[in-house]
Amino acid sequence: MSRRFFIYIFLIILVVVVLFPFFWMFVTSFKPQGTGLSMTIIPEKPTLENFKLVLTQYKFGRYFFNSFVVSTLGGIFSTLFAVLAAYSFAKRRFFFRNGLFFLFLSAMMVPGMMFMIPQFVIVSRLGWINSYKAMVIPHLANVFGLFLLTQFIRGIPNSLIEASRIDGASEIGVIYRVILPLSMPIVATVFLLSFQFNWNNFLWQLIVTTKESMYTVPVGLAMFRSAHEELYTLRMAASSISIFPIVLLFLFTQRYFIQGLTEGAVKG
Amino acid sequence: MKRLFRDTSISGRENLISFSLILPFLIIFCIFLLYPIIYSLILSFHRVTDLYDVFGGLKLVGGRNYTKLFHDVEFWWAILMTLYYAALSIPIGIVFSFLLAVFLVGRIKGSRIFRTCFFLPFVLDVFVVAIVWTLLYSSPYGIVMKLFELIGLKIPPLLSTPATSMPAIVAAMTLKNAGFGMILFIASINNIPQSLYEAASIDGVSGFAKHRYITIPLIKPVILFLVVTGTIASLSAFAEFYGMTRDGGPMINLKGNIVGITRVTGMYLFREFRSLKLGYAAAISFVLLIISLTISLISFRLLRER
Repeated sequence: MSRRFFIYIFLIILVVVVLFPFFWMFVTSFKPQGTGLSMTIIPEKPTLENFKLVLTQYKFGRYFFNSFVVSTLGGIFSTLFAVLAAYSFAKRRFFFRNGLFFLFLSAMMVPGMMFMIPQFVIVSRLGWINSYKAMVIPHLANVFGLFLLTQFIRGIPNSLIEASRIDGASEIGVIYRVILPLSMPIVATVFLLSFQFNWNNFLWQLIVTTKESMYTVPVGLAMFRSAHEELYTLRMAASSISIFPIVLLFLFTQRYFIQGLTEGAVKG
Repeated sequence: MKRLFRDTSISGRENLISFSLILPFLIIFCIFLLYPIIYSLILSFHRVTDLYDVFGGLKLVGGRNYTKLFHDVEFWWAILMTLYYAALSIPIGIVFSFLLAVFLVGRIKGSRIFRTCFFLPFVLDVFVVAIVWTLLYSSPYGIVMKLFELIGLKIPPLLSTPATSMPAIVAAMTLKNAGFGMILFIASINNIPQSLYEAASIDGVSGFAKHRYITIPLIKPVILFLVVTGTIASLSAFAEFYGMTRDGGPMINLKGNIVGITRVTGMYLFREFRSLKLGYAAAISFVLLIISLTISLISFRLLRER
């Protein structure tokens, strides 16, 4: 009994420590400007001024829109491409299938930084700097998602696919009517993970945007930090805006996030 | 081509349909993942002479980028600081997330809520989390400073003191990432058959010894996984350092070279890229690739030997 009690105390302390930075960020973003470093836990005169300023004068509203467009497009198309390819790898036979699959997977061993310079050269050569294309297209080959989906689709009984073909379905029809409905949980996982990846893809978005109107939230935050070192309340308001959608998404869909990340680690 | 296909039992039509399903993925993969690695290798043997024509404006310099790299104190410093970061963050992260898992794996009430709380920071943007920590660590009025003051400890400004800047970043990142390790540990502990523990109990093995002799050996693959992915991630870690110490942290003088404590390989590569030494930066990234491939291969060997 008392042992259990101590475990709870211990866990609660740890939760407070782990989540405190975000609590403090949130509280600070409601403090009046110039009092960002005050120790008051609940601001005496909470204000929405910071959010208003950040969204309008400092254009984080625009950055938020950009982040949203990039993450949504990235999520949709990378999931679509991964589903098509995964079906082919899992259920069809073709020349060099296993070799190609191995080649795709081996890209996971390459540190992300490795791609930065050549991708930048390609994207600038294509004239894509300062465009959504530049932020989305280079990351549409989601190797991890392909792996998760292929593993899952392999488990779908062939008889269902055969039955659908006999009914006259094309391959696209098979994917649409059989594969997609049955693998919806894992499709959702892949979509969420790539949405989150694009939302957090700070370094790449930093190097391919030079125009303010194309900044995403983290890029805007980096520029804002450089220009206004001392404006803590505004910085925290911008940070709150940046993490809010992912927190919301995570709280409602955490099953998918956790399932995807553990399965990838255990099988990979 | 046709003869190649005739040798196998797969018809040309079948191949055609299969490949067209893969095509969108394949095209993106070739242009933005495969070709960059080849191009990086080519670039690393060149110097970019015309930035507006990075394909035509290349001057072959042979292995000069690599010999320069070999004698570059700042590069080796970056490797050293990356190892320092990895050596601090990986073991601390593993111990912390294992502890969380051990507490949460049983039939504790509210275990799900605790898991959610610990895992949540992991899905957030590293850069934004780093920015939040600049507020907590700010000196002399930040809350971490005040808390230390409260317990009577006088501490230096954490992010701008050579001895404390790396540990401070490691602490922030451990709290952010512990949930991931925790989930993996919970999943693998749950896979251990309960009968093993029951047998141990019958033999009179104590609670601690049970973990020592049953749990730890069986979760070794997870530990290895965390070590390998942690090392590879350290080699391209960037946003946490850029967020908390934009210019590479407190500077120290190393035999006439001014180096930053937190100028790890990711930061160094970014700096060389920003100063448009593309050929040299490509050589750096190629060396990093070779290092992480070596680590991956060694760890695969270790896994297979088990």
